[in-house]
Amino acid sequence: MSETSASRAVVVDHVTKLYRRYGRKHTVGTLKSALLAGRARHSLSPDSAVPALVDVSFQVDPGETLGIVGPNGSGKSTLLKLLAGIVRPTQGSVTVEGRLGALLELGAGFHPEISGRENIEINGLLLGLTRRQIAQRFDEIVRFAELEEFLDAPLKTYSSGMAVRLGFSIAAHSDPDVLLVDEVLAVGDERFAHRCLEKFAEFERAGKTLLLVSHDLALVAEHCRRALWLDGGRLLADGPAAETVARYRERVAQEEGKGRLEEGERRGDAETRGRGEGIGSGAATIEQVRLLDGAGKPAGRVRSGEAARLEMEVDAPSPLSDFVFGFALTTVAGSVVFGTNTDLEGFQPAQFAGRAVVGLEIPSLTLAPGVYCVDTAIHARDGAPYDYRRDVLRFEVTADRGTAGVWSPPRRWSFGGAIRWKT
Amino acid sequence: MLPLLRAWRQRALILALTRRELQARYRNGVLGYFWSLVNPLLLLLVYATVFRLVFKPRADVHPYSLFLFSGVLTWGFVSSALLDAAETFRANGPLLRKTTVAPEVFPAVAVGARLSHLLLALPVLAAAILVAGILGAVRPSLEALAFPAVVFLLTLAVFGIALAVSSLAVHFGDVRDLVANLLTLAFFLTPILYPIDSVPDRFRPWLRANPFATFFAAIHDSAFFFRPIPAADWLWMTGTALVCLGVGAAIFERLRDSIAEEA
Repeated sequence: MSETSASRAVVVDHVTKLYRRYGRKHTVGTLKSALLAGRARHSLSPDSAVPALVDVSFQVDPGETLGIVGPNGSGKSTLLKLLAGIVRPTQGSVTVEGRLGALLELGAGFHPEISGRENIEINGLLLGLTRRQIAQRFDEIVRFAELEEFLDAPLKTYSSGMAVRLGFSIAAHSDPDVLLVDEVLAVGDERFAHRCLEKFAEFERAGKTLLLVSHDLALVAEHCRRALWLDGGRLLADGPAAETVARYRERVAQEEGKGRLEEGERRGDAETRGRGEGIGSGAATIEQVRLLDGAGKPAGRVRSGEAARLEMEVDAPSPLSDFVFGFALTTVAGSVVFGTNTDLEGFQPAQFAGRAVVGLEIPSLTLAPGVYCVDTAIHARDGAPYDYRRDVLRFEVTADRGTAGVWSPPRRWSFGGAIRWKT
Repeated sequence: MLPLLRAWRQRALILALTRRELQARYRNGVLGYFWSLVNPLLLLLVYATVFRLVFKPRADVHPYSLFLFSGVLTWGFVSSALLDAAETFRANGPLLRKTTVAPEVFPAVAVGARLSHLLLALPVLAAAILVAGILGAVRPSLEALAFPAVVFLLTLAVFGIALAVSSLAVHFGDVRDLVANLLTLAFFLTPILYPIDSVPDRFRPWLRANPFATFFAAIHDSAFFFRPIPAADWLWMTGTALVCLGVGAAIFERLRDSIAEEA
């Protein structure tokens, strides 16, 4: 509390942004009619407004990595544009300390007819670098983008992946104090996405501030310390990333559930009922859920066959003597891959009071490559839930080769008799 | 005057984007350069033919095709720069919405690119004057050196108008058509096809109200008649340039915040 706003990297103070609709703009806004009607000034005044952000306030410290999540149209991109100074707040104020870099679209400003070399220069200038800085960082930019051989070819001969690599490389080397990134990792292959994330980590270590808008919730949960959840232009949550993401997921699941429930009721289908997202008496609560890789680091990605550990931070405000902890893995489509709980595995509850951590170690995660969801629960032995959270975390399993199904056990082929293979 | 300051701060970017415009157009090297000259030369050929063979040319502007050359070339710069300015924010919408670039950059690039075309065509004009001089049709003098100064002041005026046109075009769909029509009208109300002296005395003050008239009279003085430009004309041109810049910058500043939202 004693910190002054001078030490903040970003201060957003009660910001409201209305997008203005001008007089009959959508039909025929003509200067002639405005002048003839003697209402040029009036025509330049908005006659209706659409709120994109409503009374949003938050601060970001230097060195923080902040994720911003929310559905489409929730105001995420508007927020970044306000921070970048592209649009101005209708009310409130936005302050950014230090050099700002905005990566709102990779390669915005690339021109197809001129060479990669010339595009680097123009893009660098667009990002606010001087010619000298561009010259100094040129080789590094090219090396990171891995485009040495194509430097003098016109950009239109590049694949989209190459253009994306170049765009990111220029932005990453523009050395801002505050970097705004809008959903740019969705493009490009996995290897490139990985290198981007490494660059972000490097950025964080260097004490730079990163604001990341993404629909990839696992990425936000994994790579951001803190996250904002925007919905309908309002700030619904601001807190630790895993928590914000979990709350957002819960809401999405609820809405989906509601939709299905209504649909189910219309069809008289009872199966869709009782999914139990985030339900329970609250006698005990799940504070945070995470997946750790073999090295014990939080991960959004695990290699098939390697070790993994699921953890939940739990809290029982008043002592409990009847409790069961459970984990389940499901596919994105919702079918259970694996599930277990302390009751099934023979643990007899004695006492659970206050904060605790429950871990489930899996020495070899023999799942087929794909995305999996984690469900967690604390409930009584008779099944009455204290806190039951569905799809609280998603992670990806990777492997060199894809396989069908969800299980990828250690295996060996053998062939006897008249079969030969090309070697 | 803030837009002018911002444009000045972004001069490296403006130069780079202008060069990009030219490179994209001239990527075929010499041939590309040749094609950029085709349009003004063709226009010149048409005017020279029509006005020599169909209408009686005036005896006081001989050779008439050389008289036309400097004015037609320069008018090509004025009209194409303003038409480009009317479309520049629409054409650069993605850049405006996705980067932190100052919007002043775009009208400046529109003017800069067209100015570059004019400057690239000047060697041809100089050659034409030289040939006409050698043939004894005109007697070139050092007064021709005033031409670049006139073009400089004209460019300032055009940039001022481009600031107004570009920002207004974001809000009003008909600005481009309006500009195109006004330019057609202005073409005939500006001494381009005729010397200003041939306008009857009683109309001349009205003609001077056209901001471009004095510039083109001065262009003819320097690049065809090779006589000094009157001091009053220098003053008038400087004043016109400053007023255009001031008014253009004020309109731009008023509309600036909404450019990225509306473009």
